[in-house]
Amino acid sequence: MSVVLRILLAMGMACGLCVPIGSAVASDAKHLNIVFVSPGKTGEVYWDMVAQTMQAAGRKLDAKVEVLTSERNYRTMQELGLGVVARADKPDFLILSNEESAAVPILEAAEAAGIKTLLLSNSLIGEDAKRLGPPRRVLKNWLGDITTDLTTAGARMANALIGAARNEKWQSPDGKIHLLAIGGDEITPASIARNAGLQLAIAAAPDVVLDRMLFANWTQSEAEQVAANYLGWAQRKGIRPAGIWAGNDPMALGALKAVAAAGIGPGEDIQVVGLNWSEDALREIKAGRLLLTDGGHFLLGGWSIVLLRDFADGCDFAATSSHVEVKTSAITRDNLTSVAALIATRAFDRIDFAQFRAKAGRCGQYDFSVEALISSLSPPGSAGE
Amino acid sequence: MMLDADGMNDPTKPPPSRSVVRAMIWATVPVLLLVQLLASAGVEVSSFWSQIRQLDARIARVAESRAGLIAEPLWKMRYDQVTGVLNEIMHDETIAAAAVYDDTGVVIARVVARPAVQALAEVSRPINYSNGNMAVQAGRIVIAYSYASLYMGAGGRLGLLLVVGLLGTLATVIAMRISANIFIGKPLAAMMSAIQRSKQDGRAYPADVKSSNELGQLAIAFNAMQHTTSGALDRLGHMASHDPLTGLPNRRTLSERLVALSRDAGSPDALIAFCFIDLDDFKGINDTFGHDAGDKFLVQISERLRGTVEAEDWVARLGGDEFVVIRPEVSNEAVARAFAQQLLAAISDTIMLHDKQVVPRASIGLAVRRAGDPELSHLPALADIALYHAKSKAPGTVAVLDEELQRDYRRRRDLELAIPTGFSEGQFEVWYQSQVDLVTQDVIGLEALIRWRHPEHGVIGPGEFLPLVERSGNNARLTRYVLTDACRALQRLAAAGMPQIRIAINLPPSELADHSLAAELRETCKRYAVAPSLLELEITEGSLINNIASASDTLRRLRRLGATIALDDFGTGYSSLAHLRRFPLDKVKIDKAFIREIPESAEDKAIVGVIASLAGTLGLTLVAEGIERVEQAQAMREMGVRLGQGFLYHKPQPLDAVLRGLAEAGGNGDRLLTDSPSIAPEFAA
Repeated sequence: MSVVLRILLAMGMACGLCVPIGSAVASDAKHLNIVFVSPGKTGEVYWDMVAQTMQAAGRKLDAKVEVLTSERNYRTMQELGLGVVARADKPDFLILSNEESAAVPILEAAEAAGIKTLLLSNSLIGEDAKRLGPPRRVLKNWLGDITTDLTTAGARMANALIGAARNEKWQSPDGKIHLLAIGGDEITPASIARNAGLQLAIAAAPDVVLDRMLFANWTQSEAEQVAANYLGWAQRKGIRPAGIWAGNDPMALGALKAVAAAGIGPGEDIQVVGLNWSEDALREIKAGRLLLTDGGHFLLGGWSIVLLRDFADGCDFAATSSHVEVKTSAITRDNLTSVAALIATRAFDRIDFAQFRAKAGRCGQYDFSVEALISSLSPPGSAGE
Repeated sequence: MMLDADGMNDPTKPPPSRSVVRAMIWATVPVLLLVQLLASAGVEVSSFWSQIRQLDARIARVAESRAGLIAEPLWKMRYDQVTGVLNEIMHDETIAAAAVYDDTGVVIARVVARPAVQALAEVSRPINYSNGNMAVQAGRIVIAYSYASLYMGAGGRLGLLLVVGLLGTLATVIAMRISANIFIGKPLAAMMSAIQRSKQDGRAYPADVKSSNELGQLAIAFNAMQHTTSGALDRLGHMASHDPLTGLPNRRTLSERLVALSRDAGSPDALIAFCFIDLDDFKGINDTFGHDAGDKFLVQISERLRGTVEAEDWVARLGGDEFVVIRPEVSNEAVARAFAQQLLAAISDTIMLHDKQVVPRASIGLAVRRAGDPELSHLPALADIALYHAKSKAPGTVAVLDEELQRDYRRRRDLELAIPTGFSEGQFEVWYQSQVDLVTQDVIGLEALIRWRHPEHGVIGPGEFLPLVERSGNNARLTRYVLTDACRALQRLAAAGMPQIRIAINLPPSELADHSLAAELRETCKRYAVAPSLLELEITEGSLINNIASASDTLRRLRRLGATIALDDFGTGYSSLAHLRRFPLDKVKIDKAFIREIPESAEDKAIVGVIASLAGTLGLTLVAEGIERVEQAQAMREMGVRLGQGFLYHKPQPLDAVLRGLAEAGGNGDRLLTDSPSIAPEFAA
């Protein structure tokens, strides 16, 4: 247990003591014990923010959220998960992320132990999905999953590039708009989805040519390398590169570096898009060098607590679907200001998660849009209320 | 023969067997070597090309597999990975360099292992990238590689093959030499040696060849041929050295025998008796009894000779009726002569031919010489001289060669050789002897008598040189010579006022057979304006006997011209009365042998009387030759012999002397008459 986690836990407990007073939670509501086994690593922005929003939501919704970090080691993740399942004092809910399909053994153990589980961000795929079927059929205690609609995100990012290029008339001599895409990898569902969205958008735009779909292992340096390679190639081919689609913000930042190194002005001669709402990306957007960063899916942490709170209170999200898909949102220069501070400070207690709970009779229907988010925010500095 | 043999044994010349083997090796080994080298080079070259192709294919596969591996990183612009993949192929040491180009033709990755390698080849393959949605050519991979290791490998193997080929050829050469020497050289050498030994002594030596292959069969055939050839050679040699009829050694062996005699003699002073035997009148036996009988006769003679001689003696037939008997050692000449007499006696036994008894007769020339005589090889010629003497002087006897005979022989030979010179230098002279009317003492004719005034031997009489002239074939020439001289003499006689004197010429027997004689005589007379009737031709009975028909024909022609015919030397030869009747004769000349003893010999007087009486009856004129005394002339006159000739009247003299004598006689009356008895009136009538 890291020091940070201990502090977080202490904060959570402290908040929890204050919650019942003036809370929107029904008085008969039960206090929830939720454990999240994070596949990520301490300091990994996305998974840190997922955990932070989860805990912020717990504070708002009378749930104690315990975060266990796997440090990007799936064996560790399984040991942690199985350890939780084997506890005498079993939690009410166990939140897992099925990265690399490593969560399946935990899922099955939790089923046996009678612990209700929710999959976050990564659900069952392939053989596992076929074998185990939809939630609550084979695994009765697997309540469902909450994921982000990254396909739409990928398409939205591409469309933003295309729109910008069309506006600026950045066609190549062949009359086409030439784009480069840099994906993280070719196998994870999260990557596949956003890549698929990209392809959909490209397919819908006959004046656009995707020169390459390159992969950079989610890292900035590799993205910079392949982007530089592409730019050189494009120059030799007599192609005017109009935009670079990057599967996440680090790769977008790498692309920006390569663009700059190639003597091209980002935001002026070429547009680059990323995903993740990372602080660096937001800074680049502010500087006018990055067109947008899509994302906000770290809020899945908070939203998952909302789902489980409603489920525990009898409003089962499965009434709509056991698969809850949350749309992401793009942060551009237009909406940058309201979200930037939230992210920069990670003051997720400014978000009134109770406001997002399902209305009576409309279980499973949620509005997790960026607009709803912005409207739910309390002013900065008044964290906790 | 010896030269040949020497040539064969010349040590500097290789034996034929070796050269056959060498020729075989020379003929086969270069071909073998060439084929071997070509074949191995061909195999190696083909293997080299196959390796080149394999290398090409392998590099192409490498390029293709690398292209497959590189496609994705290249397309996805992971150029570091491209370089990494490219680097991996550099472990292949044949690859000198590799490069990857993208679809713009720019080098994305390049690795160079060996910057300067010769014999570079290049393979280029497209790099195709495809996924579920697309298939594009992302670029090219080019690999440069070297054949150097293949060249080195091929060179090494070629060298090895060359060495192996040379060793193989060497082994083949050695094997061929050994086997060819065993299977060819040795049998050939054995046959060659047999041939050389056979050549040296003419005997059949078999070649010692044991093998049963073709050469063995050849050797068997060779040995059979050797045997056959040797037998044939023996027979041929025997035939060459022996007379087929009698089986005696022949002339060929004579000289060898003489050499052997000289060599084998006990001492150089041992006397060798050489008998040269010639059968007398063998021609007559052939003519009378036929040639088969003649052969039988010869065989009998040879058997008698064989039967007579001792074992150490040697009998040969030289040909025809000539035999030789050699006794290798006699104590003295008398013993040799006795031996020859013994032979004669043996020959002279009666032989039965066609139920007729024939008494063979032979003459023997005997020569005795020392074995150490350097001129021993002349023995046959010396014996022949003696034989000549025996045959000419005393047929049926033994003549022993002595100094006189040899002198005679040498003189005869000198004269015979000098005959052509005698003609060309006018050494032959015609002398004339008068024929006198015994009653009137008048010279009525002259007989032309030939003389040879030889520069060394002086004047030689016809008795000595005429046989030589005849033998040398100059009879006709001599006759023409005499005839011409006689015609000139007639001219001179006519000029001297004695046109009635006739001249007699002796005709040799051969001239009687010459049909042109009459025509020539007429021509000559015409040329000298002499009447043929002034010529008288004297012939002998012998010339009539041998060719009766042509002789009488010639005589008739001559008589038609007006010449008269005289029968010379009557009484010594056949003295055939029939001849006197048969031939157209005008005169008979009584040989001086009958005159010499007259008047002392009553027998001679009787003979001459009978001849004279017969001649008178036949109307023939008689001439008495050799009248030397007055009594003889008287006797002749009394017997009715009309004419005479002799020293009483004139010796033969040159024409000038004769003419002088005739002129004197005409001048001082009857000198001769005064010497002569009166002529019987009855005979004069």
